[in-house]
Amino acid sequence: MTDHQWSELAAPYVLGALPPDERERFAAHLAECAACRGEVQALREVAVLLPDAAPVATPPTGLRDRILREARQVRPIGHGRAPIVPWLAAAASLVLAVGLGYMYVHERGTVQRVNAVLAERDSLIATVFSPDVVTAALSATGKPPSARLFWNQARRRVVMAVFQLPPAPAGRTYQLWAIAQGKKPVSLGVFNTAADGRLTAAMDVPPGLTFELTAVTEEPAGGSPQPTQQPFLIGKVAPAD
Amino acid sequence: MLPKIGTGATFEGVLANESRQSREPDRALVERMAGGDERALGELYDRHGEMAYSLALAVARERADAEEIVADAFGQVWRNAASYDPGRGSVAGWLATITRTRALDLVRARGRRTRAIERASQTDSDGLASPMGAAADQPDRRVERGEARRLVARSLGELPEPQRRVIELAYFGGLSQSEIAAELQEPLGTVKTRMRAGMEKLRGSLAPLLSGGGA
Repeated sequence: MTDHQWSELAAPYVLGALPPDERERFAAHLAECAACRGEVQALREVAVLLPDAAPVATPPTGLRDRILREARQVRPIGHGRAPIVPWLAAAASLVLAVGLGYMYVHERGTVQRVNAVLAERDSLIATVFSPDVVTAALSATGKPPSARLFWNQARRRVVMAVFQLPPAPAGRTYQLWAIAQGKKPVSLGVFNTAADGRLTAAMDVPPGLTFELTAVTEEPAGGSPQPTQQPFLIGKVAPAD
Repeated sequence: MLPKIGTGATFEGVLANESRQSREPDRALVERMAGGDERALGELYDRHGEMAYSLALAVARERADAEEIVADAFGQVWRNAASYDPGRGSVAGWLATITRTRALDLVRARGRRTRAIERASQTDSDGLASPMGAAADQPDRRVERGEARRLVARSLGELPEPQRRVIELAYFGGLSQSEIAAELQEPLGTVKTRMRAGMEKLRGSLAPLLSGGGA
């Protein structure tokens, strides 16, 4: 292909209109061709303005509240240090986080923000350390990545701690599934790990849902109604020991 | 402190100007979100929620679906705030990309056709760009943003209809070039030429909004 022919692909590339094989070939070419990269960069700026051409529609009034409410339920928390026993470390880091929270109050005096963080962590701790909590260890083959799931049935919440899982590529996300025997998987939520490959997150379990298996798949950004990929982490639910 | 209103300046204009000067960049909001600040998420929604919802509705057609899509998109931005890389584009562009991807996924999962494809199949339709007169009439206190939006809508509306249509089918319809050719019953080469020519024209008319051109 001549250089001229390559640059013709820039417009369909930024509009997402190339078939997958051609897109990958062009992406590989971009790594080597500054001229095409420049062209793509310029046209991408045009493409990201296109949403402004959509007819203006006013979002429903409750949507803002809903987004903020959901943000409170599934939120990435901080990054811990390298785990020895991953799930124990997760529990320990929650306790540590509370201590750090108090130090932060003394140093900065931003009480409101810290209170919100503490409330969130208290809720996580209460979810994890409860008599009726059941757990699941999710792994592929005993090798990294891995995850530990705590399911508090009374509170209908799960807390998940993920280890050594690189962040999902652009446009993709991870999704956690609850699976009951003979039934379709039910999504518990989507998540992504931080740059250090870790995440601790709480997610709500739909009322009445019980499950024996949990699994994680990689899905298109935003998640899927049903898994579109084979799970790379699977774990059986077992009572806490 | 209240802004002083000079002669000839409207109150709204002063307010808009004031907010423009004191406004945190989107980037800073995302940094605060990465630190768990929910108010920053609310602020980001106030700035771009309408854009995301309009985009989601333009693709998915159903209001209930658009609501799901936007809630998911903001959720993803919230969870992944720490991984946002300013070098890869604006926050609004990042949000738009996530929203569009999510909207196209949902429409495909439901086995439906997007609004852009439906409109393209009606030969007398002016496409998505036609109701843009409505956008121009929309009262918008965010003056700058309103102007940018009008320029984008007008620029797309002024493209020759066949060029506009292939761009809309790709961006809002999620179709590949060969799918567009099949949909419009046109040769693939024609679709390719129109897409390229249309994007080049937009690049010219939108120059004031692009990093390379204008103020």
